[in-house]
Amino acid sequence: MTTPLPTSLRSSALAVTTRALSKQYGAQRALHDLVLQVPEGAVYLLVGPNGAGKSTTLKILLDQVNPTAGTAEVLGMNPQRQPALVRANVGYVPEQLDWGYGWMRVGRLLEHHARYFPSWDAAYATSLAKSFALKLDQKMSTLSKGQGRRVHLVMALAHRPPLLVLDEPTDGLDPVMRDDALGVLITHIADSPTTVLLSTHHVTEVEHLADHIGVLRDGELRAQMPLEELRRDLRRYRAKIPVGWQGTSLFGDAVIRRVTTRNEVDWTVWGEESGVAAELVNAGAVVCESAPLSLHEATLALLTQEIGK
Amino acid sequence: MLISVDANDPRPIYVQIIDEMRRALVIGTLAPDDPLPSVRQLASELRVNPNTVSQAYRELERQGVVEVRRGQGTYVVQASVNGSQRRILARDVALRSLRDANRHGLDADDLIQAIRSASTSHHKKDAR
Repeated sequence: MTTPLPTSLRSSALAVTTRALSKQYGAQRALHDLVLQVPEGAVYLLVGPNGAGKSTTLKILLDQVNPTAGTAEVLGMNPQRQPALVRANVGYVPEQLDWGYGWMRVGRLLEHHARYFPSWDAAYATSLAKSFALKLDQKMSTLSKGQGRRVHLVMALAHRPPLLVLDEPTDGLDPVMRDDALGVLITHIADSPTTVLLSTHHVTEVEHLADHIGVLRDGELRAQMPLEELRRDLRRYRAKIPVGWQGTSLFGDAVIRRVTTRNEVDWTVWGEESGVAAELVNAGAVVCESAPLSLHEATLALLTQEIGK
Repeated sequence: MLISVDANDPRPIYVQIIDEMRRALVIGTLAPDDPLPSVRQLASELRVNPNTVSQAYRELERQGVVEVRRGQGTYVVQASVNGSQRRILARDVALRSLRDANRHGLDADDLIQAIRSASTSHHKKDAR
């Protein structure tokens, strides 16, 4: 199988990196040879269908899961060897909310949490809780899923860590609260420079916040690149073709989505624009349009591409 | 809000921010010595990466439209509000329209002619 999509970054300073990371749950392969590269200061978006390995990857970075093979490096540390140090420097919102502190009130939980973090900013925690409309005297066991998610966001942000790992951070939030949370996150990034590794199904919301993307399918990284590159080099081409056109299999696997009718092609192609257009013209097609894709369209195309074996 | 960006617009976001600032200058929403919103504030309002706003402000500074006053923020430069901003804005609109026209199989002459006749009927309607 050949893939024309880039899976490795040229960036030198990396906040998170994994080497040949694999995870096996019995006979089930969760991750295979993952080489994740999150540049320092990036807002890195990890996308993939449910079960692709996103949460497993993030859990390994926080030492909540042990890899079967390979290593991870988080802020220069090995999470499996220095788990406490890694956790102290990472703001983490897990996918599953599992408190074990149901009897505790929100305010008390925040105080408890603060003791583990020397850099905890109590005033900031209070202001975050307020902007998320949280009541500090409410018992944890009575929180809705969305409220629990917001408590986790406060816990992740209030110590202003150099790395945020957010696993579906807006899951369970209503649209207004999701938008508010996004505003809070952006203000946070502007005030406290940090690296963000984020997994979400709501890609449109972070379309202009994220600057890197990793696409996971079946435990493998199908693509990893700056979003600028994706916007520039993944495009949709519409071209008129003569009847009986011979070019229907042009570009091979670089065509991510291929719709060909009798007299027109509508292809999503990975490649430098002028080169792709020139090759289409050379093959006798008349290019009518070459347009960039929205992040939503690009993600869908990459996640539904039929991969040749 | 001073400016807005459109997710469906093919222009990169930082270019949209630059164009919107220019528009604000031309229509007078922004005047010389006015401060631009802080990077943090504008990024959060537009839901975009703070680096994207910084990039737009840097480019506006390079073009001499705004200046950074140390410790105070970014301000509109006195000399920036004149005919040149209007000309640049018009050229950008023309380029976008021309690209759109080409995509529909039209050339510049077709477009110019259509703009003239559309503008005439537009004015007639206004006069009525």
